[in-house]
Amino acid sequence: MSDAGLPDPLTHAEWTAGLRDGRLLGQRCVACGNETAAPKAACNECGSREIETVELPTEGTVYTVTTIAVAPAAFEGGYRVAVVDLGTEGNARVTARLEADAEIGDAVAFSDVLEVEEAVPVFR
Amino acid sequence: MHQARIVGVGMTNFGVHDQPLPELFSSAAFDAMDDAGVDAPAIESFYLGNAMGGQTERDTHLAPTLASHIGLAGIPCQRYEDACATSSNAFKHAVRAVEAGQHDVILVGGVERCTPTTGLDTPEMTSVFASASHRQYEQPTGLSFPGVFGLLTTRHMHEYGTTEEDLAAVAVKNHHHGTYNPRAQFGSETTVEEVLESPIVASPFHLFDCCPFSDGAAAVVVANEEAAADFSGESVAVSGVGHATDTIPLADKADFTATQSARDAANQAYEQAGVGPDDIDVVELHDCFTGAEVLAIEALGFFEDGEGGPAAANGETALDGRIPVNPSGGLKAKGHPIGATGVAQLVELTEHLRGEAGERQVEGARRGLAHNLGGDAGTTIVSILEVDA
Repeated sequence: MSDAGLPDPLTHAEWTAGLRDGRLLGQRCVACGNETAAPKAACNECGSREIETVELPTEGTVYTVTTIAVAPAAFEGGYRVAVVDLGTEGNARVTARLEADAEIGDAVAFSDVLEVEEAVPVFR
Repeated sequence: MHQARIVGVGMTNFGVHDQPLPELFSSAAFDAMDDAGVDAPAIESFYLGNAMGGQTERDTHLAPTLASHIGLAGIPCQRYEDACATSSNAFKHAVRAVEAGQHDVILVGGVERCTPTTGLDTPEMTSVFASASHRQYEQPTGLSFPGVFGLLTTRHMHEYGTTEEDLAAVAVKNHHHGTYNPRAQFGSETTVEEVLESPIVASPFHLFDCCPFSDGAAAVVVANEEAAADFSGESVAVSGVGHATDTIPLADKADFTATQSARDAANQAYEQAGVGPDDIDVVELHDCFTGAEVLAIEALGFFEDGEGGPAAANGETALDGRIPVNPSGGLKAKGHPIGATGVAQLVELTEHLRGEAGERQVEGARRGLAHNLGGDAGTTIVSILEVDA
């Protein structure tokens, strides 16, 4: 049971397609309410397979952040990676590029998509 | 249930080793077998840890290959891969097999080559290390492994006021311990200033907050009490092993400062051993980055949450402190050849419990704890060794 028009089940391909449409898709467990921005086949809190696709907020706050200077081979160092808390009841957080000087607790918004390897959200 | 014991130990120096994995491993394995007084025909099974051989040197199916190199072909052999917790998981399964009576005598070991000198360059190896984070939801952001611990540690600094100087003090302490360890990759002192002035790798970590890329191997012989009594090696008891996992990716973890898998694994190990943190005399833990040691000493119950930051600066985790942590120099100074690290921690603890650790000996140590963490704090294995259990 997902919102009308949202892919169900939410695959990685659908998740990245959503990013390109400016939407941050995630999942909510029907049984326990736990939410994730990294789609899975079952809920990690309770194991239920009854999970619905939801559209997550595109604004949140920086939960934690690091500046990567020495980068993996496909990347050029000097960028920031953050975990953004989306402020939902189900505690959804997303790993994203952060193109801002924001620190922990600062408000940031999903603004763009980075596609070095695969699509990931950019917040600023 | 049988009592598993470590009856022999061996390891190579950690650093640069320009020799193939079978040759590198054989030196640690023969040292462990000779230390135990165990000949090849007595070994009933081989449990190997190697995390990345397929990616770094196009070398897989290593357990029977290495066994064949050291005269053990024919026995059941298995290889484990759990990122940096790889060989502790091999050890755990060997211990359980001995406890269950499946085997009497087992060789457990780990081997890995990660240095740019003998393998891939730094960007390529950084990618290989990052492969332990989530392939779809973390790696494409460019998250590196120092970055993973950077995210956890930055949150700890925010919640508890842990400082960069607190982190640097861990490096200073472990480098100092490393000067007493002839097997350590870094046998030199460092200072808080030197750490803070070294270039950033992934904030808050400077280069000197990070363990090096290393080549090396380590091995132990595990036997039940009857078999151990027949061998010449002075054995120590494996009184508890705990093993737990946590959610990957990081973003789905309930608490970023808890390293919950370490807490769960420690509780299992303490319960099996019938002891608590106050009963531990010496600790070898997974300080891949200085912040990882701060998180671990809290998760293992040696310090209250939030109080792990100043511990190194206050001398509480030094060799002569309240709870000596990483007398070997830890991953930071001793080195971190991924698949060898977990077993190398057990080698170090065994030597302390035997009173054979030389200048870095923790005097009177009777019970030691090893904490080996893999991936996004996704796997942790905690082992407790003791004299006369």
